[in-house]
Amino acid sequence: MSLKQFISDQSRRMAARSPWIYRINAGSCNGCDVECATTALIPRYDVERLGCQYCGSPRHADIVLVTGPLTARVKDSVLRVFDEVPDPKVTVAVGVCPISGGIFRDGYAVLAPLSKYIPVDVNVPGCAPRPQAIIEGIAQAIEIWRQRL
Amino acid sequence: MTESFYAIFAMLVFPGGLFALALGLALKGLDRRLAARLQRRVGPPLAQPLYDLVKLAKKRTMVPNIASEPVFLGAPLIGAVSMALAAALVPIPGFYTPNPAFGDLLVVLYLLTVPAVALMVAGSASGSPFGAIGFSREMAMMLAYEGPLVLVVAAVALRTGLGQGGWVSFSLTEIVAYQRTHGAFLLDPVMWPALLAFLAFYPANLGIIPFDIPEAETEVLEGPLLEYSGPALGLFKVMSALKAVVVLGLGIALFFPYAPDGAAGLLVHLAKLVLLMLIGVSVVRVSCGRMRIDQAFRFFLKWPLAFSVLSLAVVALA
Repeated sequence: MSLKQFISDQSRRMAARSPWIYRINAGSCNGCDVECATTALIPRYDVERLGCQYCGSPRHADIVLVTGPLTARVKDSVLRVFDEVPDPKVTVAVGVCPISGGIFRDGYAVLAPLSKYIPVDVNVPGCAPRPQAIIEGIAQAIEIWRQRL
Repeated sequence: MTESFYAIFAMLVFPGGLFALALGLALKGLDRRLAARLQRRVGPPLAQPLYDLVKLAKKRTMVPNIASEPVFLGAPLIGAVSMALAAALVPIPGFYTPNPAFGDLLVVLYLLTVPAVALMVAGSASGSPFGAIGFSREMAMMLAYEGPLVLVVAAVALRTGLGQGGWVSFSLTEIVAYQRTHGAFLLDPVMWPALLAFLAFYPANLGIIPFDIPEAETEVLEGPLLEYSGPALGLFKVMSALKAVVVLGLGIALFFPYAPDGAAGLLVHLAKLVLLMLIGVSVVRVSCGRMRIDQAFRFFLKWPLAFSVLSLAVVALA
């Protein structure tokens, strides 16, 4: 193995230990946001152990958590914010809404599934998903992200 | 020839540049770890700031359409370089004495304002409204804390100068040497007002929690840093790591430069830095809430300014 190969492997391993998280609310009922923000990613479960950090700006993000069924009203904003996240990035759809629309699936303003508009890498189903499930989803996202680096 | 070689070595490798960067990242890692422990969690690994830097180096830098590109990308570079230079000008008592021909205390003071200016320029060049808010807050904070800092430094310089039978002495080497023979200013009651003013200054300069108003991520989404991504953001992280080393090192040089000669001096210096970071930064950070900008501004114009004026008066009369 050449030195160049070694350095690139090591730097990829190190970089994969620093995934920063950004949340997008795509018309969610706020249930999944509560699970994300106040249950799964607080000191109790301590995702900072994995190097995760919540960031306020999409430009700092590596892993994007999307909640909600993607309503017509927020579609353009969601797509715009998603484009602001620099590559490489991984998308995690949290809750059943981005997968199928959930209980809102018959709504005239609901555009679910999310994967028609944004490439989704990990689905975390549930209404709302348990915090352990969200953390599991983030852990899988980190695995995918490691390969994209 | 050899002298300029040593100067370049000091700025690029030791004690500025690489050494200061490694030290700064280690201090940040310790800080995050202790903050996590104080909140009863496990916390990130010690090398987390390094991982963050490597990650940022691998990401793409995006420049907003309305941003002015040279200024937007130049600001973090200037900030980081200024701190690498400043780190080479701060003495490590008993181990390293900077060459006064390349700058002394006053140059360090000027270099210390550069990161704040770089942040302000970055915030306004990004064209984001949050960046503009960050700009105005950073400017207000700078106006508030620069005055007390200059007066504190003047008090230290005056005390040293008068103690040596002269007038003011703005030489860090002389300040350190004076304290090593006559006792540290930390234990000198005449200097306590200056010490208090300095203790209020450094959290504001390092941007830690009671005074992290310009970059408050929950209100202005990290303000000037909002639009930065990839290596450019990494340079800002480098800048803040170096700044921690410079500001804490300056505090040690001004108030408590006791250290044995030789390599032991370096170890004592590192121990002091770690202690200052843990007690002075982590504990403060987790035990306070963030002030509003008007509260912080009024606080600085009330207490630190009063203490620094008092210290100058006391030193002049003593």
